Amino acid sequence: MTEIILGVVRAVFVVMFGMNLGVICTWVDRRQGALIQDRVGPDRAVIWLPTLVARALAVLPAVAAAGAVLFLAMQDKQGRGEAPVSMGRAVVFSQLAVFLAWVTVAAMVAHVRRRGAESGLDRTLVALGLPRRIALLGVCAQLGLLCAMALLAGSPLGDLVAGAAYGGGVLLLCAAMIGGALFAALNMRGQRVGLRLLGLLHPAADGLKTAFKEDIIPLGVDRLMYGLAPWLAFFPSLVVLGVIPFGNTLCFGTAPDGQLDITALMPALGPDGVCSGRSLKLQVADLNVGILYFFAIAGTGIVGAALAGWASDNKYSLLGGLRAASQMVSYEVTLGLTLIGTMMIYGSLQVDDMVRWQANNAWGIFVQPVAFLLFFAAAVAESKRIPFDIPEGESELVAGYFLEYCGMKFAMFQISEYIAMVSAGAIMAAIFLGGWDVPFLYPDGLHVHIGKSELFSSLLPHPLVILLGFVGFVLKVVFMCWLQLSIRWTLPRFRYDQVMRLGWRVLLPLSLGNSLLTGFAILVMQSASAELQAAFGAAADLTKAAIAVGGLVGAVVVVRFLLSPPRHRQSVASTSARFAAAAGGTRDAEMGA
Amino acid sequence: MANTKPLGPRNVVGKVVERPKRAVGVQTYVPEIAKGLGITMGHFFKNTKEMVLGQRNDPVLESMDDGVNTVSYPEQRRPYPERFRGVHRLTQRPSGDPKCVACLCCSTACPAQCIHIVPAEYAVGDPRRGYERYPAEFVIDELRCVFCGFCVEACPVDAIRMDTGLHPAPYDSREQFIFKKDLLMQFKGRDGTQESGNTRHEPGDPTHPGVTREHQPH
Repeated sequence: MTEIILGVVRAVFVVMFGMNLGVICTWVDRRQGALIQDRVGPDRAVIWLPTLVARALAVLPAVAAAGAVLFLAMQDKQGRGEAPVSMGRAVVFSQLAVFLAWVTVAAMVAHVRRRGAESGLDRTLVALGLPRRIALLGVCAQLGLLCAMALLAGSPLGDLVAGAAYGGGVLLLCAAMIGGALFAALNMRGQRVGLRLLGLLHPAADGLKTAFKEDIIPLGVDRLMYGLAPWLAFFPSLVVLGVIPFGNTLCFGTAPDGQLDITALMPALGPDGVCSGRSLKLQVADLNVGILYFFAIAGTGIVGAALAGWASDNKYSLLGGLRAASQMVSYEVTLGLTLIGTMMIYGSLQVDDMVRWQANNAWGIFVQPVAFLLFFAAAVAESKRIPFDIPEGESELVAGYFLEYCGMKFAMFQISEYIAMVSAGAIMAAIFLGGWDVPFLYPDGLHVHIGKSELFSSLLPHPLVILLGFVGFVLKVVFMCWLQLSIRWTLPRFRYDQVMRLGWRVLLPLSLGNSLLTGFAILVMQSASAELQAAFGAAADLTKAAIAVGGLVGAVVVVRFLLSPPRHRQSVASTSARFAAAAGGTRDAEMGA
Repeated sequence: MANTKPLGPRNVVGKVVERPKRAVGVQTYVPEIAKGLGITMGHFFKNTKEMVLGQRNDPVLESMDDGVNTVSYPEQRRPYPERFRGVHRLTQRPSGDPKCVACLCCSTACPAQCIHIVPAEYAVGDPRRGYERYPAEFVIDELRCVFCGFCVEACPVDAIRMDTGLHPAPYDSREQFIFKKDLLMQFKGRDGTQESGNTRHEPGDPTHPGVTREHQPH
């Protein structure tokens, strides 16, 4: 019974993940396209809240979160002061608290500086300096605290420091949350507050709009096929997510009846990651055909597009459907053949095994870089996106195969394209970017090592490891989706014959050659000496180190970039601009949050 | 290079156009795509950061600079230029009366015939009686107006102006576009004044030459 419920829960989770990410991507596509072209893009959707409700929405969750933190902190003996606090826990809480505190203060200072100081508190905040300075001080405080605690960890002062950091951290965390929320609530002016969330409400508004739109069915269409086509296009793109593992195996205790005991999540696992209780794969279905299922189902997406083109009784639609069918069939071949090399290396068709191989060795993008490029190109073509969007090519075919659709049916085609993008991103993340694998994160915790020499080690609880893996997977999927969107906003469309030539005469021979070379390489490596094998292992660890270092460097670059001051040149050259300058500029017009 | 050898049944002498020589990096697309991605991502990251952190350009004052320059109308508005012809206003005398002398020049000049004036004489004993008239009614149909500004040009006393900097609001009935005298006199110019810039010497003022038709032979 528990198994069935968990299966349904996982299926619903994956479906919601794919659909929501797909719907958000439809909006992000336009928003990102606008930002690339120096425009704002769709961010107008707004929910107007009465100020009182908005204040409650700001304060109540913060109070609840603070209460939850206090409750969690006081739950066990360490929290109640009956046992010495472990250093790891003290570090986590104090770092979180200092981080949240400086972020809150920096946001408050930025707000006060923008609207001008009005009260004593405002003047104190302004006196603290620019938000950049606060951020730098905050990061320094975090690093200093970390170093101090690492130095004092073994000394007799260690327990005292850990206890103080833990208690202070918890209190500072609660204070920052409640203080920030109160500041936000008190600074809500006017009768109503607009909830905009950077424009994230836009996809919801679009969904509502299409749901209420009139469903016009042209005369002369094949009504059954016309109605069926959107579903045939929609479902395959969604169900392929079923074989993709979104996290490492969860380990539960065993109930008295031998079933999985959902209340007993294992606190920690051994270094080998073997689960003594009942394990739960974070995957809807671990099929033994695995990746072949992906190809089989993704291939049926063609039927929806071709059927829509044929059933619409429109020449442009028919041309679009034909193009969609020929293009998707062509690239399906490349898509499958590029993965031959990875299948040979991973030695399995099951996606979970593939991810495990990458977790134990190196990510697929390092073992099969050419396959990654080929697969990426073929996957973009497979999801009929720019630069391969000839089935839709609006300059030639108006809208191609879904030209005669409107309302929710049109939205289903549109969203299915983006869900296909998400599932392609998920497949690429699973096969080439290591799926849920986070470098140096093992079932029992963090172990940084090159070859056999261990550099750093820290034990982590089992649920946290799984959660980190899941977050890593989601970030990889989001990154791949974002990359596909960026490609769309960078490249122009190929001509039809160019698409066909690229598919059959470039990508296909290259993928065949790649699998041939991979075969040779595998033979060479299998016959290599033991020292060489160890060197390969060390090289694999080096790739993990490269990812980790790259991630850290990337984080530093992002922070530096975010903190860099904006530079804008004013040019008051028109009477309009003079009027605007006299009115104090137009930027800070009240837009709501 | 010219191809001097005639080709084909019609003996065409053509010119050989060589295929463009592309470097391998260009021909394989990948480095060029990376270059292009670099450009789009540069714009994307800069603009996203500035939008999220509230550091975006002032869409009017910094519109010539890189970055997002969209004016988020109606919350943000680009003011109309100084010489923009907006909704009309009727200027006032210091006493608060309309400057208009009901000469009908504006309604005559109006190509859209959207100005309707009912002129009236001042009461007996008023120093201005027989010297000038006043508009008992002054109506402009802003829906019919073509905003050509001829009325402003035609006015001999600077009584009608289009310097409000406003466009007519999008009303939902035709009646609401019929602007009458009281409403037209309420509007202010861009500089906030309601009086005319053209001060005149009114009958009865010490500076007025005192010429009236009653005392002069015609």
